[in-house]
Amino acid sequence: MSEHHAHGTEPSSIELLPIELLPIDTAQASSDFVDEWRNAAYNCYSSGHKFCREVCPVMQVTRNETWTPTAFHANVVAMDKGELDIADIAEDYVNCTQCGACELRCPNTLMLGDFYRFRTRTVDLVKAVRTLAVDTGIHQPQWKTWNELTDARSHEPVLGEQPVGQDSVREWADGLDIPIGGDDILFVDCEAAFYRTSVPRAVAQILQMAGHEFGLMQEQWCCGGPAAEMGYRDQAMRFARHNLDNWKASGAKRILVLDPHDYISFTEDYPKYFGAEFDLEIVLVLEVVAEYIRSGALTPRVAIEKTITYHDPCRLNKRKGVWKEPREILRSIPGLTFNDVDHVTQWSYCSGGGGGLAIEKPELTALISGARIKKASELSVDTLVSACPWSERPLSAAGEPENIDVVDIHEMLAESLGITVGGSRGAR
Amino acid sequence: MTAVLEASIVEQLVAAIAPVLGEANVLTSKTARYSRARVPAPFPVHRWAERVPDLVVLPGSTEEVAHVVRVANEFGVPIVPRDGGTGLTDGAVPERRGIVVDVKRMNLIHEIDLENRTATVGVGISMLKLNEVLAQHGLIYPDNPASYPCSLVGGRIGTSGWSLIGSRYGHSRDLVLSFDMVTPTGDIIFVGDGGGRKISKSSSGYQLKHLFMGHQGTLGIATTATLKLYPKAEAEFSAFWAFDDYDVAYKAVGALARAGIATFAGAVLFDEKKVEYLRRDDEAYIPQPESVKALVCSVGYGNSDEVAAGGRRMMRIARDLGARYMGDEISQGDWASRHDRYATPVHGRTLSGQVALMSWHCEDAAINYTDLPAVTREWHAIVEKLRRKHDVFDDWGMFAYTSSDTGVDYLTEIDIGIWEEKLDDTTWAAFVDAKREIAAVSLKYGGSISACHGSCREGEVDLVPQELGGGYDVMLAVKRALDPNNIMNPGKYGLDRAYDNEGDRR
Ligand SMILES: Cc1cc2nc3c(=O)[nH]c(=O)nc-3n(C[C@H](O)[C@H](O)[C@H](O)COP(=O)(O)OP(=O)(O)OC[C@H]3O[C@@H](n4cnc5c(N)ncnc54)[C@H](O)[C@@H]3O)c2cc1C
Ligand code: SF4
Repeated sequence: MSEHHAHGTEPSSIELLPIELLPIDTAQASSDFVDEWRNAAYNCYSSGHKFCREVCPVMQVTRNETWTPTAFHANVVAMDKGELDIADIAEDYVNCTQCGACELRCPNTLMLGDFYRFRTRTVDLVKAVRTLAVDTGIHQPQWKTWNELTDARSHEPVLGEQPVGQDSVREWADGLDIPIGGDDILFVDCEAAFYRTSVPRAVAQILQMAGHEFGLMQEQWCCGGPAAEMGYRDQAMRFARHNLDNWKASGAKRILVLDPHDYISFTEDYPKYFGAEFDLEIVLVLEVVAEYIRSGALTPRVAIEKTITYHDPCRLNKRKGVWKEPREILRSIPGLTFNDVDHVTQWSYCSGGGGGLAIEKPELTALISGARIKKASELSVDTLVSACPWSERPLSAAGEPENIDVVDIHEMLAESLGITVGGSRGAR
Repeated sequence: MTAVLEASIVEQLVAAIAPVLGEANVLTSKTARYSRARVPAPFPVHRWAERVPDLVVLPGSTEEVAHVVRVANEFGVPIVPRDGGTGLTDGAVPERRGIVVDVKRMNLIHEIDLENRTATVGVGISMLKLNEVLAQHGLIYPDNPASYPCSLVGGRIGTSGWSLIGSRYGHSRDLVLSFDMVTPTGDIIFVGDGGGRKISKSSSGYQLKHLFMGHQGTLGIATTATLKLYPKAEAEFSAFWAFDDYDVAYKAVGALARAGIATFAGAVLFDEKKVEYLRRDDEAYIPQPESVKALVCSVGYGNSDEVAAGGRRMMRIARDLGARYMGDEISQGDWASRHDRYATPVHGRTLSGQVALMSWHCEDAAINYTDLPAVTREWHAIVEKLRRKHDVFDDWGMFAYTSSDTGVDYLTEIDIGIWEEKLDDTTWAAFVDAKREIAAVSLKYGGSISACHGSCREGEVDLVPQELGGGYDVMLAVKRALDPNNIMNPGKYGLDRAYDNEGDRR
C-alpha cells in the first residue's frame, strides 16, 4: 500500500497511544489548528467541486484523489468532527509542490478575489499541517534528515555527501570582485550558491555591467524557506532571524533576490515573522534587469540561435503574478526562436522541484518534470529556459533523454550580453 | 447503516487484488477512504462516517477492473465506480461501503482518428484535457457540462450527462459512440450502436448503449470510450438580454429555441429569484438595476458566416419581443465564465440576511416548455416553506436551459443553498421531504425528475418507480439478470428490491 502513516522514530510511538493519552500539547495544537482553519476548510468542503484537480501537478501524475486540495481541506473538517487526527493525515500533505495552481483555479478565488478579498489558501494549509505534524513529533524521514543537516551546516545539503557551509558559500563568486555589505545585498539561495553556480555568476555580472552596485552578506545562511515549507517552522525562524540581524548589522537597505523561492520567503514569511521590524526592500533581480533593458542600460547583442520555450516558475507566475518581465527579457535577445506558452496555460505546469517534494518523493518529482519536458518537446524546442534554480535540476535530468537543454534566463541573457559566465550548471 | 468490513476480510481483499493492480494502487488509509466517501451534493457532516468505503483501488486497465469485480463477487463485497466524484446524485458515494473503484488513472488518449473524427480514450480523462490535445488538430469533443473542468468521461457515461451546448452538439449519450465495459460479474464486453466502435447509427440488435449509460454504476464499469469529434467552432455567439417581466422573457426563450437556427446551441432563462441572487455576486456579474426581473441568454456555435447570420436572427427575435441587449462585455464575459460560477459558499443568506457558508444543491428536472411557469411557481413555494421552517436553507433562484434544438423540453434547475455544517437529522429529514415534493411536481406536469444528474438521492428516488411505470420493473429484471450478487453499487435506485433475501447477500 502506498499510504502508510508517517515513518520515523517518534510517530510510531505516538500513533499507538489512544487520543486521550496523547501529550497534551498534541491535542491542544490540533485544536488550535482546527480553529484557525475551520472556516477555510468548510468553504472548500461546502463547494467540493474539484475545479482545482486537473491543474495540480501531483494529481496529473498520480491521479490519486487522496492528494487533492479538496481532500486536504476536507480532512480538516474530519478533524473538526473527530474522525481523523494529525497522525492520520500528515503523510498525505507531502504530496504537494506548493505551486499555488489550485488556488488560482478555484472559483472561490477567481470569482470572489477582488470583491470579497477572498482567496483559497491551500499552500498555507499544507504548510500548517506540516508544521502541526512536526510540532507534534511526526516526521517524514527525508525531511527530518535534510533539516538536521541544514541546521548543522547553516545551508541545505544540496550536494549530498559533499559538505556545504560558510567557508564555501561565496566560492561561486571567485574572481568577480564583489564587495561585502552595502545598501544592496545579493542573496544567493543554497541551490544556486553550491550547485548551479552559473546562475549567481550570471546575475552578478549582469548587474555589474549595468553599473548596479551591490555586495554579498557577511555571513549568509539558508533563507529558512524550505524548512518552513516542510513544517520546521522554529528552525526557519531561527535562520530568518540570523539573516535579518546580519542585514541590519551591515546597514543593508535592499535585498536583491534571484531565486523565486527566496522571493516568497522574504516577501511572505519574513514579514509574518518580524512585522514592522522587517523594513527592508525586497527586489526581484528579473524585474530590475527588465528595467535596465527597457531603459537601454543593457542591450543584448550577441545572437543566440536557439529554439526555446519558457518555463514559468510556479512561485513567480502562480504565486506572485510575475510573468511579463521574463518574456520581455527573452524577446530582447537576438537570434532566439521563442515558442511561448501563455502563463495561464502554464498554471498546470510545474517542475516538481518545490515544496520539498524532491527530497521526500524524488520519484514523483521525476514524473512531474518529465511531464513538463514533454510539453516542451511537443513545441520542437532545443532549449527550455527557466528562472528558478530549484526547477533546473529536475528539469535538466528530464530534459537529457529528450535532448532538451535547460538554461536559466540569467545565464542566457548574460551570454547575449557577451559575458563569459563561468561556474557550474550542476554537473559534478 | 452497513457495518465496516472485518479487518481480516479487508486483508484478504488486498491480498487478492494487490498482486494484479500493484500495491501502490490498493489504498486502505483512512484519508484515502474518507476522501472518496463524498461528492459535492450536501449531506449532514455528522453522518460522513456512515459511507466510508473499506478499500479503494486505482486500476490501470480494463483487465484490472475485471479482476477487481471478480474478486468482489467472490467475497460478496460491494463495488462502487468512481471517476471525477462530481456527480450530484450520490452515485459515486459508497452507501454500502465496500470497494471504491476509482478509474481516474485510466486517462490515456489511445487514438485520435482524424479522418473519421473520433477519439478513443480511457474514461478517467477530463474533457478539458482532451480538448487541449484535440485543439492542435482543430477539433473538439463538445460535451460541455458546467462541470467541464472537473467531471470525467466515465462519470459522463455513468450519469448520461447533460451538456450546456447540447442543443447544437447533443449530450453525452449522443457524443459517446461506444465503449468497453466490465459487467457486474467481471466479464468484459463492448457496447455501441451495433458492433463497430465508430458507428453512429445501427439497427443491429438491441440498443445497448443507452442501457449502459446513466445507470449510475449499477450495471458495470466503462473503461475505454470512443467519442465523436467536431471541428472546433470558428465562431461563438453569446447574447444576454434583460427583461422587466418574467413572462416576456419566457416568451423570448421559447421563440429563440423554436426558431430552427442551425447554429443555435442553447438558450437559458433566469427567473426573478435568480437575478436577485446574482446581485449578491458583484464580482462575477455586473449588477442590474432593480427593474430587471428576468434574463435570457442564447448562444450559437459554428462556422463564422453561419454564426453571424444565426446571431443576427437571434438578436431580431429578442428585440421584437422588447428585450434589452446587455452589451458585448457582459454577454461574452458572462458566458465565458460559465464554468467558474461556482463560488457559491459566501452567497448563502439566512432569513435575516446573515452571510452563512452554504453548499449548493441543484434540482434538475426535465420539463416541457409549456409547464415551466407553473413548475417555477410551485418549486419556489416548496423551498420558501422549507426556509421558513428551518433557517439553514436559501432559495438561489431558477434557470431553465434548452435541452434540444426544437425547444421541446428544458433542464429546469432550482438552486438551493444549504448550511451543511448545521444540518442535523431534523433539517435533513425536512430537506428530503422537500426534494420528494419537488420531484412530485415534475411528475405532475409530465416531466422527468432529472435531466442531468440522475435521481438516486433520498427523497426523489422514492418516486422513480412512479416516473418509469412498467419500465421500472424492467430495470429490476435487468439488474437481477446482470448482477446476480447485487455487487455493483448496491443501494442505488431502490434496486435492492430486485433481490429476494437469499439473492441479496448484503
Ligand atoms: C459545479 C458542478 C456543475 C455541474 N454541472 C453539470 C452539468 O452542466 N451537466 C451535467 O450533466 N452534470 C453536471 N454536474 C454533475 C456532474 O458533474 C455530472 O453528473 C458528471 O457526469 C459526473 O461525472 P464524474 O466524472 O464526476 O462522475 P462520478 O461523480 O465519479 O460518478 C457519477 C456516476 O457515474 C458512475 N460512474 C463513474 N465512473 C463510471 C464508469 N467508468 N462506468 C460506469 N459508471 C461510472 C458513478 O458510480 C456514479 O454513479 C455538475 C456538478 C458540479 C459539481
Ligand atoms: S479548492 Fe476550490 S476548486 Fe478545489 S474543491 Fe475546494 S472549493 Fe472547489
